[in-house]
Amino acid sequence: MTTDAATAPSSLLSGQGRGLVDRFGDRALYLITLLAAILSGVILGGITYEVFKLAGSAISKFGLGFLTTSNWDPVHEQFGAAQFIYGTAVSSFGALLIATPLSIAIALFLTELAPRRSRTPIAVLVELLAGVPSVILGLWGILVLGPFLNDTVEPALHAALGWIPLFGGTYSPVGLFPAMVILTIMTVPIVSSLTREVFATVPPSAKEGALALGGTRWDMMTTTVLPYSRPGIIAAVMLGLWRAVGEAIAVTQVIGGAPGIHANIFIPAQTMASQIAAQYQGASPLNQSALGYLAVVLLILSLVFNGVARLLVRGVQRRAKVS
Amino acid sequence: MIALGVAACGSSSDSSGSATASSGGGPITGAGSTFVAPLMSKWQADYASKTGDTVTYGAIGSGGGIEQITARTVDFGASDAPMTQDQLNACKGCVQMPWSLGAVVPAYNLSGAPNNIHLTGPVLADMFLGKITTWNDPEITKLNPGVNLPSTKITPVYRSDGSGDTYAFTDYLSAVSSEFKSQVGVGTEVKFPTGTGASGSDGVAAAVSKTDGAVGYLTIAYVNSNGFDYALEQNAAGNYPKATIPAINAAAATAKSVPPLGVSIVDPPASAANAWPDSTFTYVILPTSSDKADALKAFVNYAIGPGQSFAESLGYGTLPKQVIADDKTALNKVGG
Repeated sequence: MTTDAATAPSSLLSGQGRGLVDRFGDRALYLITLLAAILSGVILGGITYEVFKLAGSAISKFGLGFLTTSNWDPVHEQFGAAQFIYGTAVSSFGALLIATPLSIAIALFLTELAPRRSRTPIAVLVELLAGVPSVILGLWGILVLGPFLNDTVEPALHAALGWIPLFGGTYSPVGLFPAMVILTIMTVPIVSSLTREVFATVPPSAKEGALALGGTRWDMMTTTVLPYSRPGIIAAVMLGLWRAVGEAIAVTQVIGGAPGIHANIFIPAQTMASQIAAQYQGASPLNQSALGYLAVVLLILSLVFNGVARLLVRGVQRRAKVS
Repeated sequence: MIALGVAACGSSSDSSGSATASSGGGPITGAGSTFVAPLMSKWQADYASKTGDTVTYGAIGSGGGIEQITARTVDFGASDAPMTQDQLNACKGCVQMPWSLGAVVPAYNLSGAPNNIHLTGPVLADMFLGKITTWNDPEITKLNPGVNLPSTKITPVYRSDGSGDTYAFTDYLSAVSSEFKSQVGVGTEVKFPTGTGASGSDGVAAAVSKTDGAVGYLTIAYVNSNGFDYALEQNAAGNYPKATIPAINAAAATAKSVPPLGVSIVDPPASAANAWPDSTFTYVILPTSSDKADALKAFVNYAIGPGQSFAESLGYGTLPKQVIADDKTALNKVGG
């Protein structure tokens, strides 16, 4: 439809010859775009193949035990991923635990509460946060955020919640906690903008109905907007989680790169993505293969996250069409 | 990996020269060690102004350098850790030779303590093994009579990425502590039992400077330019020299010859009374058969000859005569 509308005036002006050129142009455009689409599929397939090929010798040597052991010793050629899986899980779930309520609050404010004129500038500001290069966030994490958390936030959390092992009494400017905070900053723009779009699909009639029944704005949000949007919010959180799981550079800079599984989130740890980023260049062949195995785990995880999120989003879209 | 890529772009001055191949002189491309990169950028500029030939260098890390020269995607590789026999076999006709040297020192951040406290190798090893955990441990205080050391917790900081600094440091600690050797071992990537990891020299520097009680290993050039405190290591003669250029050169002088698998100059014998005990060579790796053999030989001859004059001002040692002689013998194996 849109191409017809665009070409109509020019073919009116120049007659039949131009129409032929346009038809050729359309065909060429079709082929170029098709090629681009196929290429992305080929690249995904190629990457998957290469990652599995790289991981081959580690998979055959360590098997599934790789996922449950936590010794990573390049000199003695022993490799186990449990500590990195733990680091990835805790840092990304922790980040989403902070980011989700924050993002829902931002989205509610922007769709339901903020004065209409201020909505766009605030939304743009939040999304600009997503544009900060991760290496810069990481540097800020090392130089500013880490010491601040170490000196102020971590002792305060320990004083208040120290009976939970997560908030143990040892502090460090690099560790799981700074990584969580950095990942929170990186995921809030994604989760909040997706959540905002989900909220926009809530039918106005439902909201008006809630208000007409004498509900406050809070009642309206809790009885219509939030329940109606639940699958969409979950999808947004899954996509945020996917982002957090895969982030390498900023996490490498602030997490401390130390092996081991500790309950205390204030001390250094390591994630799968940052282990790959930090060690691949200098690694021996078996070490590289073990890093490839980590990449396989990451790849499978991200496909699962993305798939589930996609199914949930499709549900929301279908419903939005119906209403 | 993105960060490494950026670093590589930053230090290679010009990539236009790599495409054209010509025998005798002409542009060459190399990759590897970040340790040698500051010296390399001096060499590149000076060599280009003297000969008009471009040397393109990507500071992608020693492991990457070995990988790239093994795959022959570059004309030469550079590595701080010499290639092992297995790596040398995989490289199919490669020679490696020292072309510069430097020192790794234990930098620390300890409020209430002076600069240049004294440590022995075994004590330093125990600190990195987690066996000595506070700065006022008797093992440390007895080496520092008259110095009032605080009870701050020791936080070892190590490189979480592959690094020649790690190689030099673990090579030294393994030489002086059998327990360190069996538990951790020598390598560009090792498993430290305790402490905090950080990526890159910058990461180690940031972690040390932001953590009271931290001790990390960095090259002396990096420590000097950032004004860190560093501990003096006791050498085999029982002395505590500063990590000066003469102290590095004194350690290098103990290398009487350069075997094909490189030469370690950590923990030099007591005859080198003022040698810095944790000094290390860094290597260039050349293929014995290359269509750019003449250009490679010309550049390496420059680097181990006139190029050495830049070393001292950048914190590197200067190659001793016998090493240069062995390098020239090794260079003769490189041909077209």
